[in-house]
Amino acid sequence: MDQQPTLSERQQWLEEFEAAARRPLAQRVKYAFIKTYKPVLDDAEFRAFDTMADYRAWCEANLPEWLGYGR
Amino acid sequence: MAAAFDYRQAEEIRDVFARFGIRYLFIGKSGAILLGFPDTTQDADLFADKSPENCSALIAALRDLGFTLTDEQASEILRGKDFVQLKTGPFDLDLIFAPDGIERFDDAWQRRVEVEHFPVCHPDDIIASKEAANRAKDRESLPRLRAFRDYWKKRR
Repeated sequence: MDQQPTLSERQQWLEEFEAAARRPLAQRVKYAFIKTYKPVLDDAEFRAFDTMADYRAWCEANLPEWLGYGR
Repeated sequence: MAAAFDYRQAEEIRDVFARFGIRYLFIGKSGAILLGFPDTTQDADLFADKSPENCSALIAALRDLGFTLTDEQASEILRGKDFVQLKTGPFDLDLIFAPDGIERFDDAWQRRVEVEHFPVCHPDDIIASKEAANRAKDRESLPRLRAFRDYWKKRR
């Protein structure tokens, strides 16, 4: 179950949405994409999985928990 | 490791994929960001139609964008994998052919949103796929993403 946001969180998010809406798309993209090394995940140039279930299972078995790919 | 994805590269995807007639949608957080969601992410996620014609054109388009694909890797895409992770080009790309929570590509295509000619999954579909995936990182981002969806719908 997701944690419900507080009223103050919702208000802060709304202000962030409004601020983002005032920025042009190119600027939003510029600040949104970042690159940091993700162990294991970034260590192969190509991976292909027959099913999403296979991919999820691989993530759970191989990636560090702190990356957040586990269920 | 490729540098961070940037707007010029997003434009290249849009323009090259249009030239090759690819049916695809930005999905996941990258799709939400195109819709205006203020957050950060690392990779571009594309939901592509799994038809053989589309996959064949997709391989040609990816090579045109600068991705190096061996014949074996290209044949894996053609064989209809559900998920392909590519780090062989100018930026990292996740190709998703059967995202959790979305039944058919055509359904998502009908609901798509165009943002400056970028084809993007409807926020309801982005949320549905994250709810179905139910990873820790999805659960963390969903409350804010749902709030953004509500805001986005009111503004339309």
